[in-house]
Amino acid sequence: MSRPPAALAAVVSAALLAAPGLFAATGAPVPVHLGVIAEEPNEPDRMLKAYGETVARLRERLAPVDVAMGDLVIARDLDDLSQRLVRGDVDFVIETVFPTLVLQERSRSLDPALVAVRRGQRAYRSVFFTRRDAPYRTLADLRGHTLVLQALRSTSAFALPKAEMARAGITVLPSDDPHAGRDDVRYVLAGAEINQAIWVLQGKGDAGAFNEGDWAALPRKVRSQLRVFHETRPIVRGLLSFRAGLAVRVRTKIEEALLGLDGDEAGRAALARASALTRFERLTAADRRELRGWAPILRPSPSR
Amino acid sequence: MRLGGIGTRYAVWIAALAFALVSTTLVAAAFLAFRESRLVQSEIHAAVAAARTSDEEEALRKTATYLGATLFNALYHLDVERLNEEIAQVQSWLPVSSFLVIDRSGHVLTDGTPANERFGDPVPGPRPDDEPRGLRLSRMGEETEIRFTIASGGVTAGWGIVTLREGPWQASLRRLEWRTAAMWAGHRSSLLSLGAVALAVTLGLALLTAVLLSRSLARPLTEMSRAAGEIAAGNLNHPLTLDSPGELGDLARALTRMAGDLRVHEEALRAERADLAGKNAELERFTYTVSHDLKSPLVTVRGFAGLAGTDLASGDLARVRQDLGRIVAAADKMHRLLDDLLELSRVGRVVNPPEDVPLGDLAREAAELVKGQLGPSQVAIDVAPDLPVVRADRRRLLEALQNLVENAAKFAAGSQDPRITIGARQDGDERVFFVRDNGRGIEPRFLEKVFDLFEKLDPAVEGTGVGLALVRRIVEAHGGRAWAESDGLGHGATFCFTLPQA
Repeated sequence: MSRPPAALAAVVSAALLAAPGLFAATGAPVPVHLGVIAEEPNEPDRMLKAYGETVARLRERLAPVDVAMGDLVIARDLDDLSQRLVRGDVDFVIETVFPTLVLQERSRSLDPALVAVRRGQRAYRSVFFTRRDAPYRTLADLRGHTLVLQALRSTSAFALPKAEMARAGITVLPSDDPHAGRDDVRYVLAGAEINQAIWVLQGKGDAGAFNEGDWAALPRKVRSQLRVFHETRPIVRGLLSFRAGLAVRVRTKIEEALLGLDGDEAGRAALARASALTRFERLTAADRRELRGWAPILRPSPSR
Repeated sequence: MRLGGIGTRYAVWIAALAFALVSTTLVAAAFLAFRESRLVQSEIHAAVAAARTSDEEEALRKTATYLGATLFNALYHLDVERLNEEIAQVQSWLPVSSFLVIDRSGHVLTDGTPANERFGDPVPGPRPDDEPRGLRLSRMGEETEIRFTIASGGVTAGWGIVTLREGPWQASLRRLEWRTAAMWAGHRSSLLSLGAVALAVTLGLALLTAVLLSRSLARPLTEMSRAAGEIAAGNLNHPLTLDSPGELGDLARALTRMAGDLRVHEEALRAERADLAGKNAELERFTYTVSHDLKSPLVTVRGFAGLAGTDLASGDLARVRQDLGRIVAAADKMHRLLDDLLELSRVGRVVNPPEDVPLGDLAREAAELVKGQLGPSQVAIDVAPDLPVVRADRRRLLEALQNLVENAAKFAAGSQDPRITIGARQDGDERVFFVRDNGRGIEPRFLEKVFDLFEKLDPAVEGTGVGLALVRRIVEAHGGRAWAESDGLGHGATFCFTLPQA
């Protein structure tokens, strides 16, 4: 009991870090885990139904190369997923750009490696819309008004519009933020893209923003009463990122498995069920430069 | 069985009767079964309908109340995505044909579909706010419309309109009706099939029974009818093998006896007819022969009478004497011819009663008579020692034998060692008597002709040509036959006859 607490922690940490190696020494491969965030925190089964087939296909492809694919890890939110990354419970994640950057920021242990192509889109952009009869023509016209966004962890319907406003020098704050000024834009969260459109039409907000795909998917009669008045620059559709401590051999094998997943009908069907994924592509240098450019803008400040 | 005959009529009547009885029974049974089934179906329908009317509206009201509470939060927050999810949930357990969620302004917020084509449409019709319990049920054909208020804690967020294709109880009732209708159809189909099979079997059995019965009843009559037809057609030997008691049996036996009698009479008639035909032919021949042969001496008499007159006028008495001699000879010949004819006519009927006659004695007597007429002759006559006793008219039989021996003697006279044999031989069951000579013989084509009246193969031979005809007439009068046998000229001849055994 004479050992100081700091030394004890170091010993425990060393033992924990050595544990995977110990298991590996027994000959049985240590399973790797894919981590996702539940769209509805209380309904994890949705994600199991969506990603279960993809995990199964990966397990088939990784088994011959001595990589064991473990069960899908479903986190409640970004914080939960971040903690699981830190603990080593999750080895790779599929998310859009904004959550990925947040996880990278919080876990300090995430390395984007592949682009996740969804619905055939490698990149997408956000659009700002308002009622057809509304007077707003530019982002600046929204000063002092309310923007309807989807959810905090959404890239195209929250982070990207907010970053676009920031680039234009406009501060976006929650509608109930007591520090909001007259020229600031307040935002409300509608929870779904269709709700954003309806809220704008019903006057619960003055404008909304989400990606161009969601705009095209709006009901015809709803869309006909709205108009787009601003578009952002494009951003990659999604990212697959690895935990920083993952063995290079294992990471390589997972990358190869993911890149070949769309090579057969079963793989394509599994990807389609997983949030409408189409395929994975390697992240190019240009993509990385673009991400580095977005990073400081998209990362939320600690106070907001 | 003849169509239209008594057998067919029996069969048709019996079959019709049996078929009518069983069919009536089956139809009655089917009617009762159908009526009971209909009653059960009606009772089920009435019971379900009663339950429906009492429960259906209450169930719909509770559903509307539930929906009004469930949709409140989503509508209050304008969470269309959540509303759509709730609508999808409702559609999974109710037969919804349309579902509208209306905001407080009376415009459609969502119709639950991704396209949301009714978005923003004003909704006509009454609002449910003023209705008791905030809902209104109305029937529109087979559909039911429920208008309900979406409210909570006194705050109304909007209202909803659900149109159901049919209420749950209606669906249940319809399914029950389908089920009972299917059961009824199956039941009716089974009954009809069973009835059809039963009718077919009944018809078959009725026909079979009818055929058997009709055969049993009508067979004697049919057979008698057929037998009568055969008899009428002249087939008197058609068998009538009917062994039936009572009147039919008596009738059959009488018919059989009648056929037998007819057969006997017909045979007798046929024999008499043949006999008459023979006699007719013989009479014709006799008439012709007599007229021809008797005419010949008359011509002689007439011719020499004329010559005698001429000779007398010329005074040639010697020639007159010769002419008269010729006339007398012709008259004698005519006399002999008439005597023979008379004898022949007598022979046609046996006037003396038959008696046992030792044929050997009779043959020797005949031989002696012929020898007496011939005078000293070189013809030897042998009589077989084993000739039997026959039953016959002794006088006639002697006459026949005498004629045969005379005939044989005439033709044997010219031969080197003339010999006549009177004997008998056995041909099968028949005893054949014969008179054989070793004379000139007879050509085969004349073997039958020699028995014709006045027939003489050699005109130079003495006689009238009546002898052999007389023999045949006598033998046949005794019930026997007479014929000639010869191997031709130069081989002699044998005259045979048969007689009934004594």
